[in-house]
Formats: sequence, C-alpha cells, structure tokens
Amino acid sequence: MKRRGLFLIVVVMLFCSFTVAYGAETIKIGALYTMTGRGGQYGKDSEVAIKMAVDEVNAKGLPGGAKLEVIITDDKNPQYAVSVAKRYISDEKVKFLFGIISSAIGLAVTEVSKEQKVIFIGTDHAATDLTANKFQKYYFRSANNTFQSMMAGAMYLKDEVKGWKKIAYIGPDYAYGRDQWMELKWGLDKLGVKYQVVGEYWPKLYEPDYTSYITAIMKAAPDILVSGFWGGDTVSFIKQAKPYKLFEKMKYFHVDAGGNYEALAALGGDMPAGIILSARHHNNWPDTQANKAYVQKFYKAAGRYPSYAAEGAYVGIHMIAEAIRKVGNANDTEALVKAMEGMKVQCPEDPSGFTSYIDPKTHQIVQVQAIGVTVKNAKFPPAKYMLGNLKVYPADKLWPSFEYIDYLTKQKGK
Amino acid sequence: MKSLRQYLPWILYFVFFLGVLAVNPGAHYTHLLARVIIFGLYAVAFNLLFGRTGLVSFGHALFYGIGAYITGMLAKASGPDLFLLYILLGGIGAAIVSVFIGLLSLRLTGMFFTMLTLAFAQLAWGITFKLYNFTGGDDGIQAIPKPAYLTGPVWKYYFFSFVVVTICVFVIWRISRSSFGMVLKGIRQNPGRITFMGLNVYKNQLVAYIISAFFTAIAGGLYAGLDGSIHPDMLHWPTSGNAILMCTIGGMNTFFGPVIGAAILTGLEEIVGKYTEYWSFSIGVVVLVVVLLFPRGLLGIKWPWGRKSTTEEKETEVACNTGD
Repeated sequence: MKRRGLFLIVVVMLFCSFTVAYGAETIKIGALYTMTGRGGQYGKDSEVAIKMAVDEVNAKGLPGGAKLEVIITDDKNPQYAVSVAKRYISDEKVKFLFGIISSAIGLAVTEVSKEQKVIFIGTDHAATDLTANKFQKYYFRSANNTFQSMMAGAMYLKDEVKGWKKIAYIGPDYAYGRDQWMELKWGLDKLGVKYQVVGEYWPKLYEPDYTSYITAIMKAAPDILVSGFWGGDTVSFIKQAKPYKLFEKMKYFHVDAGGNYEALAALGGDMPAGIILSARHHNNWPDTQANKAYVQKFYKAAGRYPSYAAEGAYVGIHMIAEAIRKVGNANDTEALVKAMEGMKVQCPEDPSGFTSYIDPKTHQIVQVQAIGVTVKNAKFPPAKYMLGNLKVYPADKLWPSFEYIDYLTKQKGK
Repeated sequence: MKSLRQYLPWILYFVFFLGVLAVNPGAHYTHLLARVIIFGLYAVAFNLLFGRTGLVSFGHALFYGIGAYITGMLAKASGPDLFLLYILLGGIGAAIVSVFIGLLSLRLTGMFFTMLTLAFAQLAWGITFKLYNFTGGDDGIQAIPKPAYLTGPVWKYYFFSFVVVTICVFVIWRISRSSFGMVLKGIRQNPGRITFMGLNVYKNQLVAYIISAFFTAIAGGLYAGLDGSIHPDMLHWPTSGNAILMCTIGGMNTFFGPVIGAAILTGLEEIVGKYTEYWSFSIGVVVLVVVLLFPRGLLGIKWPWGRKSTTEEKETEVACNTGD
C-alpha cells in the first residue's frame, strides 16, 4: 500500500513537472539593430533597454509561466535584414519581429511581417510612412514618428517664437531629411503661419565639412534655421557653425533628433545655450518617478545615460508583454493585434496624468512631445547642457492626422 | 571520360540545386539558396570580365542595381503579369548603359579603368539615393509584386530563379567556350598578341563588358522579385566588391568557382552573423587564407590526385591592361 502511494506521488509529481515545463514556454522575439558604425550606439542602447525590460517582464511573470527571450542581430542593410527576419520566423520560430534603427530597413522588414503575418514592433525608425501610407496591420511602432515631432515643432514656432518670418532648412539629403521639412511646412501651413523660405540646404549624410553650407546660411540670414540632422551629423554641424556665431544670429530649431542625449553628451560644453531642441525621450524630463527610475536603472546597467533609442525598445518589450497578458498566450497573432490596438502603455516619457496609447487605426504610439531650449545642467555627465523651459504638446493634437496621411499617400503612393 | 569530366560541374550543379528541393530544407534555407543562386549568376557574369578577360571592374553594382530597379519599378507600376519580360528589360537597359560606360572606360587601362567604373557606379548610386521622389531614395521601393505563379511558398521563386539562372549560366558557359571566349582569354593573357593577330582588343572587351552587364542585371532583376524590395545599397560599392570577393574565393580562373564563392560569402554572412555583429571579420579571414594559401581560389586548387596541368594552364599570363 505504502509503495503504491509512493508510486502515485511520483507519477503526480512527474505530471506536474511536465505540465509546468510544457506551460513555461519561451516566447522568442527576433530583433534587428544597427550594432556597428555610426548608428551603432543606438543599437547598443536598445540592447541594454531590452534586457532591462525583459528582466522586468520575466520577473513579473507571463501567463503560463512563459518567458521572453530576445535574439539580436546586426541588421547591416535591407537585403540582409530581410533574410534574417525570414530566418527568425522559419527557424527560430519568433512570435514578434522587433527593433530597427533605419527606416529603409524598417520598410523592407514590414513587408516580411505582412507576408508572414508576424507582428513587427518598430522601436526607433521614424519614417511616418510605416504608420501612414505604408501601413499594414501587423506593424506597430513604440516611438514617435517624424510627423509627430514636426507637428509639435510647427506649434512651437507659431506660439513660442515671436516676430519671425524668414525660415531656412538644412538636413541630410535623403528621405528622413526631406520628410521632416515636408512635414514641418505642412504643419505650418495647416496652422496658418505665414513664412518665407529663404534657403534649403541638402548636405549628404555624414558630410564631414559644412563650411560652404554655413556661409550660405549666414548670407541668407533666416530668422529660423530648421535642422533635420541626426547623430554625429548634429554634433559636426553645431561644432562647425559655432565659430561663425550662427547660433547668435538666428534661432536654431531641431526638434526630431537634435535633443537626443547622444548629441548633448558628445557636445558637452560646446553645446550653445538657448537653441531649440527636442527628442523622443529626455533624461531630465518629465520629473516623474517612472522616468527617474528608468534613467537610473539604465545608467546602472550600462554605465552611461540612455539615448532616445533605448526608450522605444524598452516600451516595445512592455507592449508585447501586455498584449500576451491580455490574450493569454503568444500564439494567436490576430488576437494579439487586436489586444495592441488602443492599448495603453505607460512610458518613461509620459508626464503625470498621461499614458501613451496605440492608435488603433494606424498602430502608431501616441505620445506627448516636449520641446525646450538648451540650458546649463551637468546632472547627466558628460553632457553640460540639457533641455529646459520645455513646452509640452498634447499627444492627440499630434497624431493621427488623416489629412496628412492622405497628403503623404498622394505624394509618395502606397 | 573527357566529356564526363567536362560536364561533371554541371552534373553537380543540377544534383545540388535540384536535390535541395527534394530534401526540402525549409523556407529560410530555400530562400538562402535562392540568394546563393542569384549571387552565383551575378558572380559568373562578372567573372566573364574579371577572370576571363582580365578586366577588374569595380562598378558592377551599377548593372546589378539597374536590373533590380527596372524590374522592380516596372512591376510596381504596371503589375507583375509580365515579370519575366521586366527582368529581360532590366538586362537590356543595363546593356545599353554599359555601351556608353564601356566606350569611355575601356579606353583606359589597369587601375584607371577600375577607378572609372567605380566612379560611374557611385554616380548612379548617388542619383538613386537623391532622386527620392522617383526611386524612393534611401528608403528604396517595397511591396514589389510577383505574378501569382511565383507567390506563396518560397520554393516556387527558388525554382523560377534556378531555371532563369541556369539558362543564363549555360549561355555564358557557351560564350566562354566559343572562339569569342578564347579571344577574351587571349586578351587576358597577352593583348599584344591578339592585336598582332588582327583582332580588335577594344571591340572584344566592349562586347564582353556588355554581355557581362546584361547578365548581371538579370541577377539584379531576379533579386528584386525574391525580396520584393529594392534599395540603393544594391548600387553601392560593397555590392561591386562582393563580386570580386566571390570570384577570388571560388576561383576566378574557373567557370563555376564564382558560384562556390557566392555560396561561401552568403553562407558566412548568414551563419556567423547569427552569433556576432563582427561577422565580416570571418570574411576577411577567409579571403586572407584563400589569397595566401590558394591564390587560384577554392575550385582552382591543384589536388595531387587531380589531372595534370595542361599546357594551356601553364602559360605565363600577361595581365591585360597593365598600362604597358
């Protein structure tokens, strides 16, 4: 009798352990990031943030004891990224595609997502197209697109900058640079702002010498110089323009990527005071517990403060976890899509009383945009300047704009 | 026996690339093999110029890109029904462009020729990058449709690519073995002698350049359909560099060597890329090993049990376009 009881206990235990092991599945996420070269820092920061978020999610738990696991590969170029995305789906059996810095790669991978019906969370690439004219239902984005930044910028120029009329633009000569200028002008026109364009300058991406552009801008003498650079180009341009006293003669306005911590840190004390910048996340704003905790946790993990790319990745992982919790598993893609549509996502960048959410029609995260000016602040070294006097633009005024989506579709096609 | 040895690479080619379909390695590896076979055509077409004629072009990405963009843009604009025709038109478009570039650049020799081809390719890349209203700029063009018979499981497109590539490779093989192919070989070995024989080196080089451009563009067109997206990287210099690497690794003096090179380069990118972002390091090591230990490439290795070298192979090759 005793032996039989022992046998039964062993059987039950084996059954239970099998059930737990079976239930505790690993949900794989296939991420692609630029890990080397000029955009490599964005990928490295995203990697740190992903690990932070995955640890948080796994500690909190998912239905059935499931765990998240993220595989990261250097995306290199669209051709290679497409191949890796396909391998992720067929061999690694990932449930989600994730990440990507370059819009060109994002646009190529969204086609894989659409074809294979696998959810793709874009975390950093900002081309508005992906949640507008190139929208497909399996794509979601966990960071602002350029339209949201530029629409907030247009509002800032209308309300906060007085007595200006002449405007000029300088930005890298490719789609990201061109799109920002198109979006800002559309926003200004929409708001009924009267302005005169006195110059458009299109240096190539990674241009080493901006002297000729700087002298041309000085000659055109705009009241506002709008900049569409990112990363090292922002740093190079500001460093080269400073000796010409460009920032004293006109207002420098750079609201999509100009205020990224990466540029603030690289410029240190060379950052001019009073220039108008913004980014998709700020380390010193909002002054909420959630943002402070996120920034400090990142610092502890990486030994440096995060660039905005990190927040998109961090939020993206939490979006996935929340959708899985709602659905109860990661196998029903259609249910996961439905769960993400309209989902509220508490992000580090959310000010008190506001929670970001996914627009159900475009799958774009809807967030506030805060624009400020550079002020001395050495609390986040090596940066010597951070943004201050921030003006916050309500999320629902920035996205969605179906009128702009129609305009974009006419301009660029589907 | 001789004929069997002659056709052995073809037999292996068919056994391997068709055998794969029977084994069914899964969607991803079928896609990977489709890439290998398309890059194989690109490398074989390039090698008609590089290994056969002795011309080092560093601008073949231009023709690869032209093929991809013509095919992709036509399919996107007017639907995929005539997809095969669009691939052909891509080839014809590249051939026309190659006439102009060839006429100019083949007047130069050695490094100057190489640099000029690079300059033309970079010019085309710059235009593609900047004309974003027309070409999509750096975003490229996505959602290129394929005809219904090629959509669905990836093996369909793999088989289609296999048929097109095999026809093209066979034509290049026949060209290489024709009297014209022998003239090209002669040009590589001793252009002066070809001139003394009353043959026009410049004209023959130009014809080789056009043929190479045509087939390179066919490979580009096929790739546009495989991924359904095209982008300016296809015209950028690393794409030209890849062709040289594929031929060097596989063996530029062998006909099928470039296909082996394409397989190694694509495989390394894929396998090492899984584990580290520094996967290009492995390519550097492979190239170093091949260049130092097997300068004739992997297919050019002389095995002790292999056939004896023919007089033809023992010939001292006088490099063409040395500027002498």
